Amino acid sequence: MRKRRIFAALAAVLALFLTAFPSVQAKSVEEEPVVVLRVCNWEEYIDLGDWEEDEVIDLESGDIIGVNDMVTDFEEWYRETYGVTVRVEYSTFGTNEDLYNMLTLGDVYDLVCPSEYMIMKLMAEDLVQPLSEDFFDEEDEYNYYIQGVSPFIRGIFEGHDINGVTWDRCAAGYMWGITGFVYNPEEVSEEDASTWHLLENTDYYRQITIKDNVRDSYFAAVGALKSDLLTSEAFLNDPDYAEKLQDEMNDTSQETIDKAQEFLQGIKDNLYSFETDSGKADMITGKVVANYQWSGDAVYTMDQAEEDDYYLNFAVPVESTNIYFDGWVMLKDGIAGNAARQHAAEAFINFLSRPDNVIRNMYYIGYTSAISGGDDERILEYVDWCYGAEEDEEDTVEYDLSYFFTEEEDSEDYILTVPEEQLKRQLVAQYPSEELIRRASIMVYFDAEKNEAINRMWIRVRCFNINQVPLWAWIAIGAAVLAGAVAFIVKKVR
Amino acid sequence: MKFSRKTLGIPYAVFLVLFVAAPLLVLFYYAFTNGQGQFTVQNLTDFFTDPNTLGTLFYSLLIAAATTALCLLLAYPAAYILATSRLKAKSVIIMIFVMPMWINFSLRITALKEILTVIEGNLAFYPFLNSVIGMTYDFLPFMILPIYNTIVRLDGSLIEAAKDLGANDRQAFFRVTLPLSVPGIVSGVSMVFLPAMTNYVVLDMLYNNTYIMGSLIGSYFSAYNWHGGSMIALVLLGIICLFTLLTGGMETEDARTGGALL
Repeated sequence: MRKRRIFAALAAVLALFLTAFPSVQAKSVEEEPVVVLRVCNWEEYIDLGDWEEDEVIDLESGDIIGVNDMVTDFEEWYRETYGVTVRVEYSTFGTNEDLYNMLTLGDVYDLVCPSEYMIMKLMAEDLVQPLSEDFFDEEDEYNYYIQGVSPFIRGIFEGHDINGVTWDRCAAGYMWGITGFVYNPEEVSEEDASTWHLLENTDYYRQITIKDNVRDSYFAAVGALKSDLLTSEAFLNDPDYAEKLQDEMNDTSQETIDKAQEFLQGIKDNLYSFETDSGKADMITGKVVANYQWSGDAVYTMDQAEEDDYYLNFAVPVESTNIYFDGWVMLKDGIAGNAARQHAAEAFINFLSRPDNVIRNMYYIGYTSAISGGDDERILEYVDWCYGAEEDEEDTVEYDLSYFFTEEEDSEDYILTVPEEQLKRQLVAQYPSEELIRRASIMVYFDAEKNEAINRMWIRVRCFNINQVPLWAWIAIGAAVLAGAVAFIVKKVR
Repeated sequence: MKFSRKTLGIPYAVFLVLFVAAPLLVLFYYAFTNGQGQFTVQNLTDFFTDPNTLGTLFYSLLIAAATTALCLLLAYPAAYILATSRLKAKSVIIMIFVMPMWINFSLRITALKEILTVIEGNLAFYPFLNSVIGMTYDFLPFMILPIYNTIVRLDGSLIEAAKDLGANDRQAFFRVTLPLSVPGIVSGVSMVFLPAMTNYVVLDMLYNNTYIMGSLIGSYFSAYNWHGGSMIALVLLGIICLFTLLTGGMETEDARTGGALL
């Protein structure tokens, strides 16, 4: 690889520079670390601790509070539990594509947390180090992940494979969610917000934002384009509904790509904007009336708005919703056969999967953990703590989350009593009902050719086309250039 | 140890090699290769045959031209008044002009967003105008300072001479002051025009959905297409070189020091 060599040379020069200042390095290390673990996670995707006293989560089974950041807690826990010092080098990435680019440019990590399609891509390119057999040993008391992972998530991870290797062998779920619309119920009706057609609804001309992201936009476009099919009785009652839904939502035929382009070009003028980061704030400040969101961000948005006594709702399109996962995978490049490092990496996943840590992370970032806790009931308790109805509250409904928490049929232990309004608010975003999950579809990774085609489509949607420049503009430009040239020559001649 | 010209130059030479020459070589390498690492000019021909790339170039030039014109319109009178006034606290006032640059850029644009929302209501109706306002807000000091520095150093006796020879104030300004301040204008224009072509963060933050050169390069990189993205960056570099060559003749020492003051 020639590219690598260039970067290796650059890195070598840099390294020479750094070693010239040994004092800088020495300060940060108090004792000699035995294992260095290089972790790369999404930005703002882990508890950084330092909570206020009144933020304590007072569950009946005990208080939970984030004092230190999660990474420091892990280092301590690992030393106490295994008697080995580990130092975590924690860094972050902004998008899956950024992470992939960082990896291809030679950054080395042991443990990363991309989304499902990037996990699929990394697996397909044989960059992922499979989890060890020990990781799946439910008898080991410290294997919090395998003891606690939700049967629902486990089912999905075991049910999908890349080249015959199922996801669960390589990836451990961290957070998951669905996509939908956060909307202002005073401006937008629930019916309008519950379909992808909202994006082209001219009643809300220039008042809706959508993510500036080719995959999410493509999914929304396909959902809107196939709306009639997806909501037809025949399709909904098809015995292979789940499979067919996934096929339809992952349709990357040229015909669909072209139609999606037309759709996106059409809505570009109808929307407020494609937002990179401002959607949450714009929703809270009321600049827009609806925003296409990932459920975790939706929870955050609704929480923030509530602090100002401003109530927003969440709706999931009737056609289909995109279910996504972020999961931990170890990289071959980083682990490089080092058993101690791999042990630390797997222990890191397990530590994050310990129910109290799961709750800390969920509270801190607003997303939904892939962990249900197994025999440990604290996570259910936390959901009840967040959303459960008060004892004397009226207008309550029963909300069944058995699908997520247990494999038992007809268990009644996982039915919460919640205020009715929560069916449109945070609860349904953070823990969607089984009925919503039925119409959720995974968006798989596209091969290089399809990826290129869809990205081209996206560029065509976003770019100004030179053919749109009217003739008079060309004439005006030509005249201006000519005038400039003449003026220049006249001046020189004088 | 004696500081000779040679030893003093070493730090910058190292900087130059590490952060200018080396990345440039990498840029060239990617621009003229394909995914398999073979030499190709495909990326170059793609650039000039793709209506979207050309359209983006056109749109970027348009935004940059509008921004530069607006900056010049605001900056020249301000710089002129300031430079020719008898105020003692000139340096304080010039500091006030520069002060916005000490505040974090995204913070400033966020504030601007709120101000514009109050004025316009819905920002989504004026994406082009907002982008130009945002860029102007961001780049104005880069235009004011060089012009101010050029005018403030003009030899006052030249204007007196013009007036002695019968020129009125207007004639003196248009025939003496303005032509002599051209180097400052050129320096200011080059410091505003080129960044304005690529600063897509302003567009993103002010809800302009149309790509400019910077965002287009970014979108190529997100699609793992380093080669096409590098070629766009390279062509942009070529345009900048051309621009500098065309205006370089007019640039004088004054203008450079004006720029250096920043």
